[in-house]
Parts: sequence; C-alpha cells; structure tokens
Amino acid sequence: MNDLKYLIIFLSQFDLANSKIGQIIDNIGEKKSISAFRKSKLVKNGVLTSEMFEKMLEACDEKLVRTYILNIQNKGIDIVTKFDENYPEKLFNLDDAPFILYYMGDISLANMSSLAVVGSRKPTAYGRMVTERLVRDAAAAGVVIVSGLAFGVDAIAHKTCIETGGKTIAVLGGGFEHIYPQEHFSLAMEIAKKGLLISEFRPKKTATKYSFPLRNRIIAGLSDGVLITEASIKSGTIHTKEFALEYGKNIYAVPGNIYSINSQLTNDIIKTCQAECVTKSDDILKDYKLINECRNEQVSMFDNVNEDEKNLLKLLKNGMKSIDDLTKECKLSINVFNSCLTTLEIRGIIKRMPGGYVALN
Amino acid sequence: MYSKVLSYGLKGIEGFPIDVETDVSNGLPHFEIVGLADTAIKEAKERVRNAIKNSGLNYPIKKITINLAPADIKKEGALYDLAIAVAILSCDEENQIKHEKDYVYIGELSFDGSIKKVKGVLPLLISARKLGYKKFIIPFENSHEASFISGVEIYSAQNLIEVFKFLRGEEHLPLVEACQFEDVVKQSAGGLDFSNVKGQAMAKRALEIAAAGGHNLLMIGPPGSGKSMLAKCFPTILPELTFDEALEVTKIHSVAGELDGKTGIVSTRPFRSPHHTASTVALTGGGNYSKPGEISLADHGVLFLDEFPEYTRHAIETLRQPLEDGVITVARSNATIVYPANFTLIASMNPCPCGNYGSKDKECRCSATQISKYLSKLSGPIMDRIDIHIEVENVTYDQLKSDHLEESSKVIKARVDRAREIQLQRFAKSSNYCNAKMNVAQTKKICKLNSDCETLMRNAFEKLHLSARAHDRILKVARTIADLEGCEFIQPAHIAEAISYRTLDRKYWQ
Repeated sequence: MNDLKYLIIFLSQFDLANSKIGQIIDNIGEKKSISAFRKSKLVKNGVLTSEMFEKMLEACDEKLVRTYILNIQNKGIDIVTKFDENYPEKLFNLDDAPFILYYMGDISLANMSSLAVVGSRKPTAYGRMVTERLVRDAAAAGVVIVSGLAFGVDAIAHKTCIETGGKTIAVLGGGFEHIYPQEHFSLAMEIAKKGLLISEFRPKKTATKYSFPLRNRIIAGLSDGVLITEASIKSGTIHTKEFALEYGKNIYAVPGNIYSINSQLTNDIIKTCQAECVTKSDDILKDYKLINECRNEQVSMFDNVNEDEKNLLKLLKNGMKSIDDLTKECKLSINVFNSCLTTLEIRGIIKRMPGGYVALN
Repeated sequence: MYSKVLSYGLKGIEGFPIDVETDVSNGLPHFEIVGLADTAIKEAKERVRNAIKNSGLNYPIKKITINLAPADIKKEGALYDLAIAVAILSCDEENQIKHEKDYVYIGELSFDGSIKKVKGVLPLLISARKLGYKKFIIPFENSHEASFISGVEIYSAQNLIEVFKFLRGEEHLPLVEACQFEDVVKQSAGGLDFSNVKGQAMAKRALEIAAAGGHNLLMIGPPGSGKSMLAKCFPTILPELTFDEALEVTKIHSVAGELDGKTGIVSTRPFRSPHHTASTVALTGGGNYSKPGEISLADHGVLFLDEFPEYTRHAIETLRQPLEDGVITVARSNATIVYPANFTLIASMNPCPCGNYGSKDKECRCSATQISKYLSKLSGPIMDRIDIHIEVENVTYDQLKSDHLEESSKVIKARVDRAREIQLQRFAKSSNYCNAKMNVAQTKKICKLNSDCETLMRNAFEKLHLSARAHDRILKVARTIADLEGCEFIQPAHIAEAISYRTLDRKYWQ
C-alpha cells in the first residue's frame, strides 16, 4: 500500500468535505504521506484551522491508520481510493470524484454499463409497476441497476433487479455501520453478496440531510443513464437529475398522470426536454445498444390460458384496473374470478398491487 | 334465635350457593354482616332494616349477626338483600314463617320494601339447577330472563310483603311461565341486510367464507369505503343461535347487566364494536367488581374492531388467548376467572395512518416509516390468527346509484348454513365445530391435497413470496370454500381463491 493511500484513508476519518481532502493533498507538498502531513503548513496556508489540525495530529500515526484499516477489513468492508487501479473509471473524471470509497461486493460492476433508477420514496401503484417493468427488462438485458437503497422506487429497483437475476449497485447515504433506512439492512446485505454496496463515508458516520445529495452525485456518476420513474417536485430525486445533467448523462423519465403530484417532476423534465420520454424499455435499451429479448413476451401471453383467464387479460390490456371494476366487467362469479387472478399471478402474467389494483406484468 | 336460608353468589359466570345464617340475640341493638362481604352488602343493613320497617313488619331491636357462608369467598353485589331480610324475619317465631329453607332467594331490596332487578339471574339459576335446587324466589323484573329455564319452580315477587305472605302460606306468588325460545327468535328481525350494500363483491364473498368457516377476517381499505357497514351486516349471514348457545350468551350478558329486560334472552348473535380507546380490561373483563369484557360479550357472535392498529398494542396482544382457545382467563389478586370468548373477529384498518396509501387518485401523506410502523402494530402472532385479509375499495357513485339487485343476506345465509352443516358432520366426534378451529393434526388429515393442488401451492409459495404462516391458513380457508361448493376434496380453484385472501402475507404490501 502506498503512502498516498494511507494519507487518504487517514484523512477520511475526519468527515472532511471531499474538496477539502483535495485541497490538503494539493497543499501538503511534494511528498504525499502521513509523515508529510505532520510537518505540513496547512494551517498557515489557511486550509485547516489550527484546532482541526491539532485534533488530526493526535491520530496522525501510520500504526493507528493501519489498525483502522484492519478493523474495517475485519468487518468485510473493502477500501478503494481514487488513485487505485480498481477505482471506478466513471467516477475518476468527475470534478468532485470521491477520494475514497468503502465497498462490499464486486467493485468491477462499477465499470459495466449501468442505469440509475431513482424516484419517489412513496410511489403510487403506477410508479411501482413502471419501475418493476423497466428494471426487469433492463436487468434482463444485462444492464447494471444503480440506486440508493431508499424506500420506494430505490428499493423496488434493487429488489426487482435481484429477482430478475441481474446485478445491482446500492450507494449508501451514510457509513456501513449505519445503513439507512434500517429496514433495508437485509436487502443491503443481499446486494453486498450479489452486487455491490458502496459508500464514500467512513463506516461509523450516520447519514444526514446533507449526505444524501452527495450520495446522489455518486449515483449519477456511476451510471450511464438515469431513469426517473415517478417523482414529485419536492423529491430528492431532483439532485440526482441535476448531477446527471452536469455530468452529461442520459436522463430518462416516465410520463405520468398530469393531475398526479407524484409525476410532476417527471412530466416537467420531459416537457423542458431535460429528459427523454420513456414509454417502453426499448426507449432506454436502444442507447445501450442492447436488444430486449423480452419484447415479444406479451404476444405469447395468451397461450396456455383458459377462456375465463383470456377474458380477464383482454380487460387488462388498457392498463391497470381496480378489482371491483374488473369483477363487474368480466362477469365471472367472484370465486372463479379470484382463483383465475391467483393462477395468472402465480404464472407471472398479472400483478396485484396494494389498494386492490391489478395490472398486466 | 337462629335461622338459615339460601342465596346464590356469582363467580365469573358460574354461581355458587351461599348460606345466609342469621342469629338474633339479646343485647344492645346492633347489625353486623360477616363473611367477606363488599361495601354493597355491608350497606344491606340499612336497606333491609328500612324495607322491613316500611313494609309494616316487625324489625327486631336486638343484636343481629349475619354470616354469609362459605366465609372465605369474596361476595359482591346487592342480590343477598332478600335472603337477609327473610332470614331475619324467620328468626322471629311470631312471624310464623314456614318452609323458608325450601327456596333460594335472589333480590335487592328498596327502602319501601319493593324488590329490585339484579344482574346475573340466569347464570345463577342454571348453576343452581345443576346442583339440584328446585325452588327460587326472584325479582319480578327478572322473570323474563328466567322464563327459559325449565324443570324448576321459579316464583317472582314484587315486594317483601308478598314474599312474607307467601312464606306464611297466606298468598300465592306467581310462577314464572316457561317461554319457548323459538317464539322469541321469530320476533327479532334485523334491519340490516347485504342487499343494501352496493358493489363490494369481493368483500362480500370473503365475509361469506368467513361466516361459513368461522374464520377471522381483516379488512383493509381507505376511510369511507364501507368497512363498518359490511361488518355490521355480517351477523345477518351467520347461522342462527341454538338454544344452548343463546343460554350461554345470555348468561354473560346477564352478569354484565347488559340484558334487555323485555325479551330476557339474547336471541341473535351479538355484535360488539368497542371503540379503539377501550382499555385492555374493558376488552378482556375483570376489574374490581369482575365483569365480563367486550370480547366475552361477543361470545358466539362477532367482535368488530374498527381501526384495528389504533388499539393499544397491549389490548391487541391480549386477543391472542381468546382467539386460540375461545376463553379468556382473567387473573386478579382475589380471584382467577375464566370467561368464554368464542367470537369471530372482524377487524378493519386503513392501509396507512392517513388512509390513502395505494389509492389511485388520492395522495398519501404518510412517510414510509409511518406506514411500516402502522402495519407493524399487528404482530405476527395476531396475524397468524386472522385467516382472511381483504382489501376494500371506495364505492363509486355509479355503484351507489345502480339498480343492480344485490344478493340478500337470506340467500347468502342459506349457503353458509349448508357449509356449516357439512362441518358439523365432519367434526361430530371432536370438540371443534368449524374449519377455522381445526388444530394442526386435523388440518393435516382433513385438508389433504392432491398433486395438482400441491403443485399450485408450491408455485404460489415460490412466486408470490407467501410467508410460512400462510400455509395452514390457506388450507383451512380452501376447505371452507370447498364446503361452500359441496366438494368433498379441495380443488386447485379453491386453493387459488384462498391464496387471494392473504394480502398481508404477500410481499407486495410493503
């Protein structure tokens, strides 16, 4: 391990802003190492306050840093710094590229072609459905799905991706010891096993209001395109979109009901041409030069279903329907209806959603 | 001078005999009651003295001691007044009271000598009859409730002087006339009917299954979707109470003092809907003067808990034992009482605190944490005991105004009755009487699946991410669906339908 790496790891312990770490490295002198830091004139240069410098000096010892690294590695967490070989290429060229990344899982995923899927923490049935559908197609085509492990669209994207057998990357808004939200701890561990879990924050740091926009910049940075399935104007998704614009990534948005607050942001950015309008997965996959093999599935959907089921499927062709409407329109007795619904659901042809809605999968 | 007469006390909903012993001796005028009596009984002293005096009878100006035996059981209430008065009067030989020992006396006295209505007459009479007591004197106002007890002589009295004259052999007391249960049932007509509930086909079907198999049911839906209406109609499709069940129910209602004085018996299945601010004790029963709670009052009927997660967690968790065993054991420092609590639970809840989660056109204002917190109020063990979950949707205006003729409760009830008939035959040899109450061994034996069903079940578990606890529930519900159709064996369609009633076990609810 080289001196510079030690220095960066040492610096990452103090919750400094990423740009501050850059400044320190620039101002430390020719030799970039921990011992150089000790002798540096950072206070004089105005990079650090004397208090901060004093505090940092206390921990300024190669042995201490080594135990720090060991402790982290014992927890199964790996460290990659900006100047390492396996540092994600896509991040390297960003202006504000994180100097250090803590990760669990396969870091090489970060170099594969990827799509960030972000959106509302509380998606409607529509948002949920759209997210699942697009993620499933993209993941099946081999695109890595990047998201932020949050409630709602993020979690749906991760889960659907894992279910489809695809690879997914989750970028954390805090350290590894404080996975946020807690409810997604087991999901995070699954992602660590089957994909990549990544964070620029030291493991003991808790997520704060300010750390999420920082996380969003990594999400935008790591991906080749950003898909927003459903988001309101106030959503944090707006940060991800801004970063993606700044980094020149493709932005995709799914249009929604114009009355729905939950689709305001997506409708807006489509209107202002900031994002490409997505109505089917090929709209995204064409940019990835990937052919969607699942495309013809719907045509063959009507095979192997009985008359009653066929009727149901016909009714669902025009989109989501509530169970009550469906029962009336299909004119089946309620017991037959229910059993048809379950059979179709088990076969993955339709999907039921909270609130009593049914839609084609 | 000494005399002894019989009265009856209550412990839970079972009665026990009490000897009221009286000793009147010379000494300074004094009145003392011994035998673990509560304040209401201690105060009998004033009521009895004034009642005797104001009836124009002779109250002995002597030292009077009353003993309520057995002396080690705590006694509550004012129902011993009449027995105490008779015991005092019979001490005086001049009163010429005869045969006073042949009767069991129950009743509270008023200052003017009239006998007032008391709680719990029916359970007292039933327990006493079991022990072989044959003759009773009870308050006139309680005679309706006593009229369903056969094989004993029950006299009703309006005041003390009547009893006095009766015991002297001067006058007769009216015998309580026996009443036929069937006559009462005919009189009681319910106003609610499923034909008044528009739309909601799914919910109705689920309620039908719940009624047929005795399954507990949870409705999830936005505010104003008609959950309470559906629940209130539920008793109209339940099978009629049998006489034995009615007696059982009436006993509890009598003890709680909730009995309607006119009919005297609970002839329809009770429907209890305690508010969500109800304390745990109000639900379970107990308290200083032990009284059955709401869940016991719902015995053989329906316990409807609206806004289920709004109840305190403690209150919800106490439902575990009754849902499993059909009884609730209330242990307090002075007694442990078992009340029956064999009810069907109908619970309803919103999908989230604001109620709009999952709605197509309304915005949900709750945070994800709030929603998961709200749903997690229902613990695994409680969910384990609720077989059917359904989602209830808002009814549209068109549905409300439609002329479409909805099925009436009577038609649904006929199907339910048929399904119950099959179950009664099936469980003839066991203590159980409906599918919902099957134990593990029974489920295994009765709900055998053929290979088609087995495949379907396996697929469902893998594809729909059902939780393990759902397995047996689905089997039981499938069995009931099969019974409704009169099928001997469970078909794949039955399983598929049963699976559709497991909303909360499915992964999509997150």
